[in-house]
Amino acid sequence: MSNEVYAFALKSTLNEIQNACPDVTSNFIFKDGEILAKDRNTEEENATQTLEAFDAITERADPLGEIENISIQSAEGKVNIAAMNDFYLTTVSSNEADEKYVNTLTRVLIPIVIKLSEKFQSASIENEPITTVQPEPEEDDAEKVTDEFIDDETPDEDEANENEQSYEEEPEEETAATEPYNEPVQESEIDDEPLIPDPPVTQLIVENLGGLLVPSDTIRVDQEIINQWNELYGDNKINEVEVEALNGKTTRCKFKHIKKSKDTGKGIIKMPEKMQLTLEIAAGELVTVKPIIE
Amino acid sequence: MVKKKQSQETASPLVVDDDEIGDTSEEDETYQDLSNKLAEIRKNKDVIGYIMRSATSATIDLKEPEKIVEYAIFSSQALDSSQEISDQFELGDVKSVLIEGKESKALCMNIEGNKISIFMEKNADDADILKQISP
Repeated sequence: MSNEVYAFALKSTLNEIQNACPDVTSNFIFKDGEILAKDRNTEEENATQTLEAFDAITERADPLGEIENISIQSAEGKVNIAAMNDFYLTTVSSNEADEKYVNTLTRVLIPIVIKLSEKFQSASIENEPITTVQPEPEEDDAEKVTDEFIDDETPDEDEANENEQSYEEEPEEETAATEPYNEPVQESEIDDEPLIPDPPVTQLIVENLGGLLVPSDTIRVDQEIINQWNELYGDNKINEVEVEALNGKTTRCKFKHIKKSKDTGKGIIKMPEKMQLTLEIAAGELVTVKPIIE
Repeated sequence: MVKKKQSQETASPLVVDDDEIGDTSEEDETYQDLSNKLAEIRKNKDVIGYIMRSATSATIDLKEPEKIVEYAIFSSQALDSSQEISDQFELGDVKSVLIEGKESKALCMNIEGNKISIFMEKNADDADILKQISP
């Protein structure tokens, strides 16, 4: 399973944990000796050194068996390293932190996020068409999801954008698109190279999106999330997202960024009521969103 | 002066002496006090054993004497690595470390220069044991 999917979901979760518990000064997750995600306050070096120290303990932990948890109580704070599935969550907190609250939060949230990531990843693999090499690579018309698109309010222009897309085209291998015409790429080489990263899945809370000029086929999400998609997919175009409710119902729709600054950074998705009816959900419920890579 | 320490009521007591000269009676007193507490803790059926080291002495009492080296190395590594982690996040001196494995767990601490590791079954009440040993 791709670590990018975990990284994206886990990083957001770690940041949210820190928002919810300001006494958590640092937290990060590692797996198989690799740091997968860390919150914004954690320095790479601290995480790496901790990982090395943890490895030194586990190497000599034969008398205890496989390590499940380490709790270090120091003079000015505490460190907890807890195993969750194959992952290890490290939480550094001050002595004032409510340990029960922090543990409840982390030991419930992180496994859920890991499970969800796995679930959506496997669903994504099942539905993914087989990637083939394009015989004639297109000119580099790939473009980022720009503000122009995001701020685009007119349905006509949206349609124009859609018409530019060839829906029969299969997802294009990134390297194939950049290869010059006179250098044919052998299929076997392409097959061995990594594919486009799997779409990150973001869990968000539904809020109503109303108004006279609101299109019924467009949701709104944080600009930060759109930026992350852009960073992840670079040249690949993202015109639509797939929204999935916890009841399993899904829909594809267009997206724009949330305009009101008071609604940003809250982990919400603004959704027209018609779409909520389609998904059989209501405001306040959780949905997952992932970009559809053209 | 040669120091000699011995754990009480142990299944397999191992005493390590050191001929270092110049120890204080205060250190002796602390060591002896901790030894007594550990001997009491050892009576708990869920406690597998313990290791205590000071600068000059060591007392080991474990159910599996053949694994003394493994336990001793682990005990030392656990405290050293925990201090490294604590230093990374500028949390100061480590007071105690609880390491839980799939089969058993260990409570390690440094009390006035005496490095102690108590090994116990998974269901043992580590909080209560920490309370008993703490000054």
